[in-house]
Amino acid sequence: MLTALKDIWKIARRELRGFGRRPIFLVIMILAPLGFLWLFTSMMSAGLPTKLPAALVDEDDTHVTRQLTRILGTMEETNFVLQTKSFTEARQAMQRGEVYGIFRIPKGTTEAALTQRQPVISFYTNDTYYIAASLLMKDMRKMSEMAGLAMTRAVMRAKGYTDSQIMGTLQPIVVESHPLGNPHLNYSVVLSNLLVPGLLMLVIMLTTSYSLGIEWKRDRQKKLYQMGRGNVAVIVLGKLLPQTVLYTIIFWLIDFIFYGYLQFPCQCGIPRMMLWGLLAVLSSQGFGLLLFEAFPGQMRMAMSACSLLGVMQFSLAGFSFPVSAMDAPFQWLANIFPLHHYFLIYVNQCLNGYHISYAWMNVTALVLIFLLPQLFAFRLKDAFLYKEYKA
Amino acid sequence: MKFPKFPILHVWWDELCELVKDEGILIFVILLPLAYPLLYAMIYNNETQRELPICVVDDCMTDRSREFIRRVDATPEVVVAAHCTNMEEAQKLMRRRDVFGILRIPREFDMRLWRGQQAVVGLYSDLTSMLYYKVEYLAVINVAQEMNRNIKVRERQENITAREEELARWPIRFEEVKLYNPAGGFAAFLIPAVLMLILQQALCLGVGMSMGRSRERFRGLVIPPTRHYKNTLAIVLGKGLVHFMLFMLMGIYMAVCVTRWFGLPQLGHFTELLGFLVPYLLACTYMAIFWSSFIFRREDCILLFVFMSIPLLFLTGVSWPGASIPPFWKVVGTIFPSTWGANAYVRIQGMGASLGDCHREILNLWILAGVYFLLSCFMYMFEIRKAVGRTVLE
Repeated sequence: MLTALKDIWKIARRELRGFGRRPIFLVIMILAPLGFLWLFTSMMSAGLPTKLPAALVDEDDTHVTRQLTRILGTMEETNFVLQTKSFTEARQAMQRGEVYGIFRIPKGTTEAALTQRQPVISFYTNDTYYIAASLLMKDMRKMSEMAGLAMTRAVMRAKGYTDSQIMGTLQPIVVESHPLGNPHLNYSVVLSNLLVPGLLMLVIMLTTSYSLGIEWKRDRQKKLYQMGRGNVAVIVLGKLLPQTVLYTIIFWLIDFIFYGYLQFPCQCGIPRMMLWGLLAVLSSQGFGLLLFEAFPGQMRMAMSACSLLGVMQFSLAGFSFPVSAMDAPFQWLANIFPLHHYFLIYVNQCLNGYHISYAWMNVTALVLIFLLPQLFAFRLKDAFLYKEYKA
Repeated sequence: MKFPKFPILHVWWDELCELVKDEGILIFVILLPLAYPLLYAMIYNNETQRELPICVVDDCMTDRSREFIRRVDATPEVVVAAHCTNMEEAQKLMRRRDVFGILRIPREFDMRLWRGQQAVVGLYSDLTSMLYYKVEYLAVINVAQEMNRNIKVRERQENITAREEELARWPIRFEEVKLYNPAGGFAAFLIPAVLMLILQQALCLGVGMSMGRSRERFRGLVIPPTRHYKNTLAIVLGKGLVHFMLFMLMGIYMAVCVTRWFGLPQLGHFTELLGFLVPYLLACTYMAIFWSSFIFRREDCILLFVFMSIPLLFLTGVSWPGASIPPFWKVVGTIFPSTWGANAYVRIQGMGASLGDCHREILNLWILAGVYFLLSCFMYMFEIRKAVGRTVLE
């Protein structure tokens, strides 16, 4: 037992010296995750995008439409950067990418409204820019609805109804929406919380197969095998433990910045999230190791597989496009990725503050992904003894 | 095999042979651009969430509350999967992820409506995905507005003619038009940008691999120490041509085949697409050649380029609105062809813009192509000098 520990320590020290000699390693392991943290948190610091550029086509141009456009201008998401009378001009601005939406008041709107001939106003959003278009659509729809209600309200006021009677007529049923866990609909909370740990997990997978594979590449696998006295577990532990420590510290740093400094909602407390962070690091290492065992000694194939699958896990985690909306094979496939399970644990614990027993399957899955490489350890042993690096 | 005489063709032929023989490179330059677009398109193919299960807590139990629930159930967005007697029960279902939202109708709902007061219904959404909130809110608000109109017309105002009723219902009509993405879905919005990113990343990985391989084989040099590799221009053009040609095919495959198979927006004319793809792929090729010169081991390029894909997607301004990206990151984004390329492609293919409409992007792509071409030339000049120095020493 003691010799095994000594061997682990020896291999770990050798690994640390290796880091020192290879600057690319330090750049990828430390600077990249922190860079992502900076990129995403500063990019989405506004939380919800506001004042999105839109165009206003007022073909009518009367005091009534101008009043309407003034109200529109005060809306949260909309910023009319272009006011014109020509729809073509607005459409061209949209095609040039200068505006995300067009609000159009056609000629004769005021006249039709005053003579009770039901005018039609229209708005166009460019849904190739999905988030911007959805937000603008919400504003413009609300405005159009309110414009209609305002006309009825004017009539009812003239007839002598009280304001509460009017509201009871105009909007009898009110929908009160409660987005749970993130009441301000802060996109940074949704996206940064997953993209930054997700990228860190991708880096972990890649570096796991890289740091193992490099031994074959430099033809030192036999020497390493002797250092570990033929015990694969000792070798893997010695090689990966320094990374586990480093990545866990980075993960915890991210947790502190998210929930401590940036005050992202965290129902379960930072210590609990640190525990899930540790589990995410371990399972990502397990995932990388598993792929390395699938292509033993072939660093390039293992890393290619890691990168092809690793990038896909962002789509299959389901935080932008939900897994429940995908076809069945993908719903099933999502389960092999650590990020998907980490995400569901995060939602359960941090966002909603539910009891962990509701996410026991995800915790088990992460533990399984971490333990699975144990089953195929014999392949590593074979690789140490017989496999050579193929250029 | 006999080599062609011109240095450019020689370099070109060499690079092509290397590429075909090397399975590590083939994965990234053939398999990745061929298979990845299909995978992504299949993941997002359903475009949006339909029939999302929610549960209902109906404390009111009247004709009207049941009508509300029936109408919500009939929307395409959600389906009422359970009726719960109280909130505790509903919350339990939500925690087990059996349902993703709770609609609560309070006890006094119908009574308040009869009194002519406002009644409030509560919608509690799970935020596992923002889309859940969006579809639930849309379904419930549409039902509420429709019922509001009916209540207003039938119970609160005395209308005489059918026309008067219609006017009371809709004093102003409005039309909402979702341009360029009629389904309002994810595939049509995300895939075009992802396609462009795949092109750039695959190029970087392929070129990086071949560069790293040269460095390993020729002891740290990116060119073989033979007499054909003395002319900077020939090397840069010859190497660039191989990747440019191959990815031109891939680009056309994505813009034509993938787009058609999955019914993505395809408003761009073929000539305009070509006019865009040429500068885009030139810029990507020479960027890949330049950045790859910093790679000394072939596997390093995977480490360096792969995880950049996600941040680069956000820097394009397609998924996160470009208008909300801080200036600093906008400047960082300008040095990557994908930032301009994704926007230009989305506009040409998705919105039917002409090359003139996105002249800014096309111009910037040409500038990037030029700058990276020159940088690659400098890099090779430096490498040739190093190679010559080494042969002299030996």
